[in-house]
Amino acid sequence: MPPFDKEFFATDRLDLAPHNLFDLVDRLDGLAPGFAAIAQPRVHFAVDGVLEADWSRDLATASEVIVLPRVGGG
Amino acid sequence: MNAPETMKQFRPKEFRHVGTRPVRPDGVDKVTGRALYGPDFKAPGMLWGAIVRSPHPHARIVSIDTKKAESLPGVKAVATGKDFPTLQSLVMHVGEGASDIVHVARNCLALDKVLYEGHAVAAVAATTPEIAREAAGLIAVEYEELPFVLGLEEALAEGAPLLHDDVFTKGVDPKPDKPSNASMRVEMGGGDVEGALAGAAVTVTGRYTMEPVHQGYIEPHACVASWGGDGQAQIWCSSQGHFAVRSLTASVLALPQADIRVMPLEIGGGFGGKTTIYLEPVAMILSKKSGRPVRLAMTREEVFRATGPAPGAVIDVRIGADADGTLVAADVEFKYHSGAYPAVDAGAGVASAIGHYKIANTRVVGTEVLCNRPAAKAYRAPGAPQVNFAVESAVDELAGKLGIDPLELRLKNAAVEGDPQTSGVPWGRIGWVECLEAAKAHPHWSAPLGPNQGRGLAGGYWGNYGGPSTVVVSLTEDGTFTVTTGSPDIGGSRAAMAIMAAETLGVPYEQVRCVIADTSSIGFSMVTGGSRTTFATGKAVVEAAREVKQVLCSRAAKMWNVAEDAVEWQDGEMVCTAGEKEGTRITVAQIAPRVAFMSGPVSCVAGINAAGWLPGFGLHICDTEVDTETGHVKIVRYTAIQDVGTAIHPDYVEGQIQGGAVQGIGWALNETYIYGENGKLDNPGFLDYRMPVASDLPMIDAVVVEVPNPDHPYGVKGVGEVPIVPPLAAVANAIHAATGKRLNSLPMSPDRVYAALHPEG
Amino acid sequence: MSKIHVSTTLNGDAAEFLCDPSASLLDALRDELGLTGSKEGCGSGDCGACTVVLDGEMVCSCLVFAAEAEGGTIQTIEGVAESAVLHPVQQKFLEHGALQCGFCTPGFIVAAKALLDRNPDPTETEVRYWLAGNLCRCTGYDKIVRAVMDAAAELRQDRPSERTPA
Ligand code: FES
Ligand code: FES
Repeated sequence: MPPFDKEFFATDRLDLAPHNLFDLVDRLDGLAPGFAAIAQPRVHFAVDGVLEADWSRDLATASEVIVLPRVGGG
Repeated sequence: MNAPETMKQFRPKEFRHVGTRPVRPDGVDKVTGRALYGPDFKAPGMLWGAIVRSPHPHARIVSIDTKKAESLPGVKAVATGKDFPTLQSLVMHVGEGASDIVHVARNCLALDKVLYEGHAVAAVAATTPEIAREAAGLIAVEYEELPFVLGLEEALAEGAPLLHDDVFTKGVDPKPDKPSNASMRVEMGGGDVEGALAGAAVTVTGRYTMEPVHQGYIEPHACVASWGGDGQAQIWCSSQGHFAVRSLTASVLALPQADIRVMPLEIGGGFGGKTTIYLEPVAMILSKKSGRPVRLAMTREEVFRATGPAPGAVIDVRIGADADGTLVAADVEFKYHSGAYPAVDAGAGVASAIGHYKIANTRVVGTEVLCNRPAAKAYRAPGAPQVNFAVESAVDELAGKLGIDPLELRLKNAAVEGDPQTSGVPWGRIGWVECLEAAKAHPHWSAPLGPNQGRGLAGGYWGNYGGPSTVVVSLTEDGTFTVTTGSPDIGGSRAAMAIMAAETLGVPYEQVRCVIADTSSIGFSMVTGGSRTTFATGKAVVEAAREVKQVLCSRAAKMWNVAEDAVEWQDGEMVCTAGEKEGTRITVAQIAPRVAFMSGPVSCVAGINAAGWLPGFGLHICDTEVDTETGHVKIVRYTAIQDVGTAIHPDYVEGQIQGGAVQGIGWALNETYIYGENGKLDNPGFLDYRMPVASDLPMIDAVVVEVPNPDHPYGVKGVGEVPIVPPLAAVANAIHAATGKRLNSLPMSPDRVYAALHPEG
Repeated sequence: MSKIHVSTTLNGDAAEFLCDPSASLLDALRDELGLTGSKEGCGSGDCGACTVVLDGEMVCSCLVFAAEAEGGTIQTIEGVAESAVLHPVQQKFLEHGALQCGFCTPGFIVAAKALLDRNPDPTETEVRYWLAGNLCRCTGYDKIVRAVMDAAAELRQDRPSERTPA
C-alpha cells in the first residue's frame, strides 16, 4: 500500500476485520495516528480488486482491501 | 466524422441519440461572441485589481510598504499575505489531488517567503486598471534574497537550498528527522527485478529528461468577487470546478461554505490548470476592504510565471525481455518537479508507468521534488505523459534490439482484463488489445513512407475517474426538460448530458436543455477533470431522468386510477399496459401542465458517488519527416486510436482525442519552460513558448474504439486525458525511425535534432 | 489623465467612445463598448483571439491603439452573423464541432471569414497558413480546418443553406 506503508504502518500487510471502510480507517488510525486525517484527501481503497467509492459498504464478505494513493486528474 | 467504420465495428447496440452529432446547446452563443467567459464579466461599481509579484526566485520578505500606493487617488484597497486569517495545516482533496490549504493560501499571496519568480506578494484595487497598475508599482517590497534551486537533482543534493523547513519526505521508513525538498516518494511493484534483468536476453537502459510545460489554455485566469457587509459573498469566475473554488476559498478565508456563492462562467480551457484557486481569495479580501466588487485578471505573462505548469522530469528506465519478446522486468525511477509546494503527480505517474504490460518483475519509484518554480498543477493525465515517454521509448528500443515489430511486441505483452496493475489491483474491462488490433488494421500502419520519413507508435493509458456529482432533471410546464448540473462544460459536455437525458427519456434532443448551476443552486459536484464528467455526471443524469420517468408513470397511474405497474414509459409517453384502460396513452406534453394539479411539480435530484469507472487506453501512430539540414521535424501523418467505452457525442470525443494528441505533439517538439541562470523565466509568452499552430500539423485521424463500460448505462469510460499520454514517445519513435537517432530529452526542437544528426557539430 | 474621443463605424453602426491614450482597440471594444466577443489571450499579438477587421484588414486588436480606429470601420465577431442568421463559417463551426471551450472561436471565425472574403477556394494548406496566427489549445485544429473548407464550399455554391438563427 505505498506510500502509506512506509509513511504510516512500517508494513505493507495488516490483518484486520473492519465492518466497512470508515471502520478500517478508524482502525488504521489507531495503529498510526494521523492516517484518518489524510485518508479522505489522499487514499483510494480497492476491495477485492475493485475500487470502492462507498466507504459505508459492508465488508463482511470481503477478503482483501488494497490501500492506494488517490489519483485525481486534469 | 473520421472513423465511423471503426466505431460501428465495436458498437454493441443501437441507440437513438447516443452516438449522434447534434449541435451543442451552447454553440450559437459561442460562435457569435455572446458567451461570457472568466474575463468578460463585470459587476456594477466594480474595482480593478493588480498584483505585485516577486522578481526573485527565492527570498525572505523583509517588509512591504503600501503607504504610497494607498495614498494614490483612486486606490480603494491593498492586500498582503497578512490579510489571510491564521490557518492550521489541513489537507484537502479538490479533484486534482490533495493540497494543504496553508500552501494554497501562501500561493495566492506569499507570507514571509517568496518561493518563485512571479509569486504574488501584494495586491491593490482601484477605480481603473491603469490606476491599479500604477499603484502596484508603488508598493515597495524589501527582500532578502536566498539561494535558489531549479533542477531536480540539484534540489535533492546535500546542502541544497531548502524551500520549506516543515516538509519531511512522505512515504519513507523510518520517518525522516530532517526536512527535505523531496516531499514524497511512492514505490510500487514486486518480484525480483535485478534477478530478472540479469537473466534477460535483451535489456535497454535509458535516462529521459524534460523541463516543465504549461497547460496553455487560451483564457487567462480572471474573477470578480463581491463580499457583502453581512459576510456573504459572490464570486464570478471560470474554473473546472466552482465547488472547488468555493471550498478552497472558504477554507483559506475561514468562511462557512454556504456564505460563498460561486457563479460558473464559461471556461476557456483548463486541462487541469483550473482546478485550483489563485485570484479568488485575493479579490475577496480586496472586496471586503473596499466594500465594492473587485475584478482580478492575469496577463498571459502572469499565467506563465505564476500558474501551474506540469512537472518536468528525470526518468531512469531499465527494461528486459526474453529472446521471444516476453517482457520480464522493468525498473522505472523518476523524479518530478513539484515546484514551490508539495504536489501529487508521483502517485499517478507510478500508476501510469508500466501497467499496460504484463511484466512479472517490476519496480516503479516516483519522487516529488520541491524547487523554486511555480507550484506544479494537474495537466491532462497528470504525471502520466512524462513517464510514458520514457517507457514507450525504451520499449521501442527493445523491439529494435529484438528485431520484433514494435506493434507485435506490444500486442504480445499487452495487459488484458484480470491482469494485475502495478498496484496489484486487476484491470477491469479495458480495451488496450482492441486499440492495438485497430492499429494493425488501420491503413496508416502499412502505408508507404517517403524519403527522410519515419513511423513511430506508442501506447498509453489513464485511470479515469468517477466520484460525486449532483444533477436535477425537471419537467417544465410544456413538457420539455431541463437538466441542471454542477459540472463546468469545458468541451461540449452539455451536449453529452442532453443526449443521455434524451436517450433515457426517449424524447427529441432539442426537448432537453442543459445548464450549469452555481454552487448555491445545486448540490456538490466534483471538478470537471480526470475524465470523469461524462461518466459520473452522466450517470447522475441518467439516474435523475429514470426517476422522472417513474414519477410521471405513477402520476399517470393515479390519474387513470390504475395500478402503478400498469403504466409503462414508451418513448416519451406513458402507456397503460394492463387492465381496462390498456392502451390509454398520454404524452409528456399533455401531462406536463397537469402535474401542478396533482401532488406538485416534477423535479428529480440524483446526488451520486459514481463508481465503476474504467481506464482508457490509446495507441498513436505518427509519421515524421526530418529536415536533416535544419533539424526541423514535420508531422506528416498522425492517427490516434482510443478506447472510449461509448462515444456519446462523437464530434467532441474525436475533438478531445485530436486536441490531446496535438498538445502532446507540442510537448514533444517545441514546448518547454526556459529559465535563466538568474532563476527567472525567459519565455513567458506565446511567441517563445511555442504551441502548435494549424500550419504545423496534418489532420489528426481520431479512431474511436468502443469497448463499453458495463458499469455505465451507456458504456462511457472517459476520454479527455488519455490522448496526451502516447504522443511524446510516438513522435520520438518516429524521429528515431526516420533518422536512426534516439532523442531522450524533450522537446525535440530543431537545435537538438540537428545536434543529434551532426554530432561532429 | 485626459481621454481621447474616437468615432468609428462598428459592425455597420456609428459608435463613439472615450479611451486612454495607451488603451488598445481590444480594451476599447471590451471595456468601453461592452463587446466582449473579441478575447484577450495574450495581449501581444501571438494568439489571434482578439482578431477583428479594421478598414478591411484583419488585425490583432490588442496591437492596435484604440485611438487609431478614429474614422475607421471595424467588424468584430458580433457583426459576423448577418440579418439574424449565422454566417456559413459560424454554421459550419457548429456542425463540425469545431469548438471545444470556444474561447478561440471568435478569433478563428473572424479570421476565416476574412480569408473566404478574399479567397473563396482555399486549399487545406492555405487555410492552415492563414489561420496560423490563431492559437487553439483544445481542438488540434482538425475540425476547424474542415469547418472552414466546408464553409468555403458552401459559399461557392451559394447554397440556400439551412442556417441557424443567430
Ligand atoms: S490577444 Fe491579441 S493576439 Fe492574443
Ligand atoms: S476551442 Fe478552446 S482554445 Fe480553441
